[in-house]
Amino acid sequence: MDTFIQLTVDGLTLGSVYALIALGYTLVYGVLKLLNFAHGDVFMVGTFIGFGMLQLLGGTSNPLVPVWLLLVLVTFAAMAGCAVLGVVIERFAYRPLRDAPRIAPLISALGVSFFLANSMQLLFGAEPRNYNTFALSGGALYLKGVDIGSVRVPLLRIITISSAFALMVVLWFLVNRTRTGKAMRATSFDREAAAMMGIDIDRVIVFTFILGSALAGAAGVMFALRVPTNVAVGFIAGLKGFTAAVIGGIGSIPGAMAGGLILGFAEAYTQGYISTKWSDLFVFSILIGFMIFRPQGLLGRADIRKV
Amino acid sequence: MKRAIVLAVVIVVAAGATAAALAKPSATGSASAAQAVSCKSTLTIPFVTPLTGGAGFIGTEQATWAKYAVKTLPSHYGLKIKLVFGDTPVEQGPAPALALAQKYIADKSVVAILGPSTSGNAGASTKVYTQAGLVQLSPSATHTELTIGTPAVPYIGTPGFFRNVPGDYIQGPTDARFMINKLHVKKVVIIDFQEPYSVGLADIVESTLKKAGVSVTRLSAPNTTTDYSAYVTKVPNDADVVFFPTQKPPDIQTFGQQLLEQGKKAKLFGGDGSNDPAHFTIAGSYVSNFAPDITSIPADAAIVAGWQKDNPGKVVGSFGPPSYGAVQILLEAIKKACIQGHGSIQQRHDVIRNMKKVRIPNFILGGTFRFSTKTNDPLNAKFYIFQIQSNGKYKLVG
Repeated sequence: MDTFIQLTVDGLTLGSVYALIALGYTLVYGVLKLLNFAHGDVFMVGTFIGFGMLQLLGGTSNPLVPVWLLLVLVTFAAMAGCAVLGVVIERFAYRPLRDAPRIAPLISALGVSFFLANSMQLLFGAEPRNYNTFALSGGALYLKGVDIGSVRVPLLRIITISSAFALMVVLWFLVNRTRTGKAMRATSFDREAAAMMGIDIDRVIVFTFILGSALAGAAGVMFALRVPTNVAVGFIAGLKGFTAAVIGGIGSIPGAMAGGLILGFAEAYTQGYISTKWSDLFVFSILIGFMIFRPQGLLGRADIRKV
Repeated sequence: MKRAIVLAVVIVVAAGATAAALAKPSATGSASAAQAVSCKSTLTIPFVTPLTGGAGFIGTEQATWAKYAVKTLPSHYGLKIKLVFGDTPVEQGPAPALALAQKYIADKSVVAILGPSTSGNAGASTKVYTQAGLVQLSPSATHTELTIGTPAVPYIGTPGFFRNVPGDYIQGPTDARFMINKLHVKKVVIIDFQEPYSVGLADIVESTLKKAGVSVTRLSAPNTTTDYSAYVTKVPNDADVVFFPTQKPPDIQTFGQQLLEQGKKAKLFGGDGSNDPAHFTIAGSYVSNFAPDITSIPADAAIVAGWQKDNPGKVVGSFGPPSYGAVQILLEAIKKACIQGHGSIQQRHDVIRNMKKVRIPNFILGGTFRFSTKTNDPLNAKFYIFQIQSNGKYKLVG
């Protein structure tokens, strides 16, 4: 039972980060019908912005502000930085290609992905960056927490999981309960009709990139608080986020959340109960299974076209 | 019908020619190797090593020492050497190393290869280099089968591949014996990283421990893994040691933090690939390495001081010094080939022929350097065990 609880906590931690990344993919796809393959690298940039902010605030060994404020400021810095990056990417890499055939922005997205990864490497080198959160408050974030049976759920995991869910709730509120969210949904449903109804499509798209990229920034910090980062982390994280979005149904916000969690649990339980060696094979087999038997994903809508 | 037969013959001949061309990737290299190269000209030594990616710390440290060696040593040998770097990120597998091999083989000024630094790339490219007559001297590829065969895995090296550090057939038993004799282990968890270096070393440690009656649990992680929580969950509470040979020290650091997070008491033990005081700092953990701390060797004082002057603020690690030594060995062999060739290297293969004649007293890693007569490994080399102290320093303990 302890193993099950521990693996569930592992899966929930992983899954909540995957879900945040998946939301970025799904938001952009929902509005633009574009697979933003640069999203994983925006996530990577987020991990670096967070690291930079952490250093500005004295690092984990000697922070200049209380720990809670440090974590909040680092997260907000990464979210803000990534949001700006998202706007720049949209303006220069995707907007000029908005009316081009769908393959053109896809290739542009891949180009942006390589551009970001290589630029970061040129600017900051290939050395891994470790937030070293273990040094914060004498390891309290790792060693203190809530006990479930004989399993301790450390503070850092509780913070990661609860922050991710809080962000998902905020996103749900933004999309479903605000005028801008309504505009996003209208644009997603029919861009031309939305424009004819007076919705500023450019503004909606920019806002979508801000939201998606900010979530990637937050996910980046949540990831890097526990695991060292480097300029290559965006590829795998992006791949897992994309897989989660597809499993959940790309374009569906609740689907992306569900997909992320399913992927996290699948990874943790496979490693725990089946085989550590074959976990990636199992996880990506789920993706293949969905592509074959339910290509629209768990909560996505089948794309029906009139001919 | 006649046209069809002619067409079929043309296709067969074309396919045969293509296959022949592909089967002999060194054809261009062999042709260029046949041309003599003057020892008065600038000779090129490419260093094939990961400068970027998760193992980038290995290449960047090695690069500083190789640069320092090329800056200070060639004049003693009357040679002019140009050092160039070929980046081989471990995440990209052997493809970059193979592409670089073709490039260097085609370059007439290339007379020797420093590296490849990683075992996977060394194994993948050695046949191509050796067919072209180019010697390869790795300062860090420790995979056993690169220089000797074992009952389980056949020899995958070539006569042109050398290394100046001992192989995992020495590292594995050294690590395992330390665990048995000094740490008195009863239960050990071994995790490999699904790449040649890691799997090979894990296999040797596992077999040595099992022979001594130690209970071993074997796990395996894809080398793209970032979060080890589920692996840590599988570590029994009463495990004494987790042996995790990886070439990415931040990964073993993460593993260690997650062990503490889950309240597991097992000590971490890494191979030479984890020997990085900047990134692996879990106090009480162990790492092995092929090089001692050269700052404790009096004969190296001037070299260390010179390197530190060129690299202010950097700490002397374990991966760099063997690269300095490797440059020195190559220069010796090149010089001998130049003398035999009366001022020129008649064939690239002449450098290979002179490798085993190299003797270097007061070698940077201590003692006199020479290759074994039986293998292309250094004679009498050994591995060292370090323990990480609470201040993050590595202390030699075995």
